Amino acid sequence: MSALTGTPILLRTAAHQNARIVAPWTLAVTALSVTSLIGYRFVFADEASRQGLAMTIGSNPAFNLLFGTPYDLLTEDGFNAWRSLALGGFFTGLMAIILVVRNTRADEDSGQAELIASSVVGRHARLAAAVQLAFAASIIVGLVSAIVTMLFGGDPSVTIALSTTFTATGFMFAGVAAVAAQVGSYARTASTLAITVLGASFLIRGFADAAPGAGWLIWWTPMGWTQEVRPSTEARYWPLLICLAFTLVMVAIANGLLARRDYGQGLVPARPGPPRGRGLLTNVWGLALRLQAPSIVAWSIAFLILGGAFGYLASSLGDVIGPDSPFAKAFASSGQSIDLAFAFVLILLQIMGIIAAVYGVQVMMRVYAEEIDYRLEPPLAASLARWQLLASHAVIAILGPATALLIGGVAISLTATDPALTTGNLVRQVLAEIPAVAILVGVSVATIGARPQVRLASWAAVVATFALTILGPLFNLWDWILGISPLWHVPNVTDPDMSVGSIVGLVVVAAGFVTIGFLGFRRRDVR
Amino acid sequence: MDSAITVKGLVKRFGSFTALDGMDLDVQTGQVHGFLGPNGSGKSTTIRVILGLLRADAGTVTLLGGDPWRDVVPLHRRLAYVPGDVSLWPSLTGGEAIDLLGKLRGGLDESRRAHLLERFELDPTKKGRTYSKGNRQKVAIVAALSSDVELLVLDEPTSGLDPLMEAVFQEEIALEKARGRTVLLSSHILSEVEALADRVSIIRDGVLVETGTLDQVRRHRRSHLRVELTRVPDRLGDVDGIHELAVQGTTVTCTVDDAHTADVMSMFASGGIVSITSTPASLEDIFLSHYDDRLNGTSSP
Repeated sequence: MSALTGTPILLRTAAHQNARIVAPWTLAVTALSVTSLIGYRFVFADEASRQGLAMTIGSNPAFNLLFGTPYDLLTEDGFNAWRSLALGGFFTGLMAIILVVRNTRADEDSGQAELIASSVVGRHARLAAAVQLAFAASIIVGLVSAIVTMLFGGDPSVTIALSTTFTATGFMFAGVAAVAAQVGSYARTASTLAITVLGASFLIRGFADAAPGAGWLIWWTPMGWTQEVRPSTEARYWPLLICLAFTLVMVAIANGLLARRDYGQGLVPARPGPPRGRGLLTNVWGLALRLQAPSIVAWSIAFLILGGAFGYLASSLGDVIGPDSPFAKAFASSGQSIDLAFAFVLILLQIMGIIAAVYGVQVMMRVYAEEIDYRLEPPLAASLARWQLLASHAVIAILGPATALLIGGVAISLTATDPALTTGNLVRQVLAEIPAVAILVGVSVATIGARPQVRLASWAAVVATFALTILGPLFNLWDWILGISPLWHVPNVTDPDMSVGSIVGLVVVAAGFVTIGFLGFRRRDVR
Repeated sequence: MDSAITVKGLVKRFGSFTALDGMDLDVQTGQVHGFLGPNGSGKSTTIRVILGLLRADAGTVTLLGGDPWRDVVPLHRRLAYVPGDVSLWPSLTGGEAIDLLGKLRGGLDESRRAHLLERFELDPTKKGRTYSKGNRQKVAIVAALSSDVELLVLDEPTSGLDPLMEAVFQEEIALEKARGRTVLLSSHILSEVEALADRVSIIRDGVLVETGTLDQVRRHRRSHLRVELTRVPDRLGDVDGIHELAVQGTTVTCTVDDAHTADVMSMFASGGIVSITSTPASLEDIFLSHYDDRLNGTSSP
C-alpha cells in the first residue's frame, strides 16, 4: 500500500462536494474575459478612440499597477489580455487556495478528516486529492474561459495563451496553499498565509509594472511569470515552465512537511495558555477584539506596506505624469484643476478603499463562522443583549478598515515627496472616503445581522464597486451607473469647491445598512 | 408550587419541517426535571426557544416569570446553560472560556470554580481546540455550575464524559438540588435521569407524550413478573393482560398490565406458585413503550 492509496476515491468525493465553489470562480474569470472583449468592441469602435485609450492608459501607472504592462491596446484581444491576465490569475489563485485549505486543514479542524485518515487511505492521499482537485478546477477555469471567449470571437492564439496563464496561476497557488496548510495550525492561519503570498506577489508584480526602473522585479514574483507570457504579442509559453517548476517544488515541500507533522497539528505546536481570563477578556467586546486581533494586526501591516509602496510610486512618477504627459492632458481636457500626483493618489486610495472593504466584510463573515460553529450560543445564553454581540464585531468591522486606511494614507504621505501629498491632505481625503467604505461593510452588517442566507451579497457589493470604480471609467460608462459605486461620491478634499453634502449622504446610507442589520439580528433565529 | 419554566402549545418550524408541534412542558421551581427523548425529537429546539435563541411560531413560553424572547438580559442573569455539543473558541484556554462565560452572566463563585475544576480534573491552561469532547463538556459544566443562578438548563450535559466523571456530575447536580436550584436536565441516559429527577417529561416528534413524577409515569405500566410454578396452566397465552410470555420448564416470565393483575394472579395460583418476583416498570420500559413502533422486530403490545 502506497502513501497515495485511496487518492482517486477521495478526489471523486471532493469534486462532488466542491463543485459549488468552483462554479462561481469559473464564471467570474470567464465574465472578466468576455466583458473585456465585448466592452472594447462597443466602446472603442474606431481607430481614433483606440489610440486615445492606448495613450491615456499607457501613461497611467495606476492601471499598470492593477492590470500590468499593456502590450497591445489597439485590438480587442490585446485589451482583453491586458485587463484580464492579472485579475483572472488572482481569482484562479484564490480559488485554488480555498479548495486546498478547505480539503486539508479545515477538514482536520472539524474532525471530518479523521474518519478518512482512519480508513484505507495513504498518508499523503488527502493532500494529493486536495491539490489535484485544485489543479482540475484551475484547468476547468482555463478551458471554460478560453472556449467561451473564443465563442464570442476571441482570437484563438491570444485567448488560449491568456487562459493558460489563469490555469498556471491556479497551479502555483495550489502548491503555495499545500505548504501553508502544513505550516499553519488552523485552517484560518493557513488561508491567511497563502492569501498573503498571493497578495504580495500581486503587489510586487504591480510595483514592477508601475514604478520606473523596477522592471527587473517582474521575474521575482509568480504573477510576473504569467504576465511574461505576453499573450497578445508574443504568446510565448516558456515562462510557464517556471510556473510548473515552482508548483512542483511547492508540492514537494508540502509533502516533506506533511511527513514531519502530526495529524491535526501545525509545525508549531499549541502551547498552554493562561488559566484565568483577565485583562480584555472580561466582556463580549474583549472577546471580539481577541478573536479578530490577528486579522486587525495583519491588515494594519498590509496597509502600512501598501501605503508606503503607493507613496513611493506616486513621487517616482514625476516624469510619467508631468504636465506634458497624456495623463495630465486628459485631466486638463476634463477641466479639473488639481494636482496631478494627488489625482493619481486618489485612484490609489480608491483601490485601498476597496481592499479595506474586503477587510471589513471579512470581519463580519467571522460572526457568521462563529454562528455556524455554535459559538454565538454560549454568550447569548448568558446575560447579554443580542445587539451587544453584533455590535462587538460591527464596531471592529467599521473602525478596523478606517484605521487601516488612515495608516495607509499617512504611509503614503511619508514616502511621497510631492508638495500636494501632505499628511494633512491625505488624512482628510481618507476621512472623506471612510463613509463610502462603511457602506460596503454596512451591507455585510445588514446581511449577517438580518439574513445570513444572502451574505454573499456583501461580496457582490465589493466586486460591483471594484468593477464600477476601477473598470467602469475605462468604458466611459454614464455617471448614473458609475454613481452606484459609493466611492464615486467621495469628494476631492483639495478641491476648494468641495461639498460636504455627499459625505453626509454616504454616512446616512451606511447608517441605514447598519440599522437593518441590528433590527434584523434582534428578530431572527440564532443557531 | 410555582413553575420555573412553562411551555404551552409551542410550535417551531424550520422551513417546511415542523420541529415542535404543540409542545408542552412544565418545570417546577426547586425540582430536577428530566427531559427525555431520542435524537431529533425536539429536545434541543425546545431548550433553544426557552433560551430565546429561536423565536416561537406559536404557543407561549414563560421562563422565570418572564418572556424569554423579550426579557433576555435580566432572565439570563438568573440561569446557566450547558449545550450538548460544546464548541469552544480555538484560541482561548478552558480557564479563559470559563471566566468569560461567568463574567458575561454577571460573575462566578471563585471557590466553586476551584472546587469544580478539581472535582472534574480539568486542566484550565489548555487551548480550546486541544480539548477532547469530554473535556470541552467539562469546561461548560464548570462554567455553568460555578455561577450563582436559580436555574440550570442542561442539554445532554454528560455526553462524552467517562463513567467516573458521570458519577461526579450526578453528585454535583444532587448538591445543586439541595441548594434549592431548579434543573432542566435533557438526556437520553435514563439511569442518570432516574437517579436525579423528581419529574420527567417525554417528548416524541415535537409533542409531549408523557409527564409527571417518576411514580406517576410508572403507574398504569406493565410490571415484569417471574413466577416459578408447580405446573404451568394451559392457555396461559390467552389470558388478557399477559405480554412477552416466555415459558422455560416450570418458570414463567412475562409482563403484566396493572389493570389485569388480579386475573393473571388467579391464573398463576391455579398452577401452584412456588416463588414470585415482581419488578416495576423502569424508565427505560416507559421510554421504549413510546417508541415501540420505531424499533423493528420487537414485540408490540
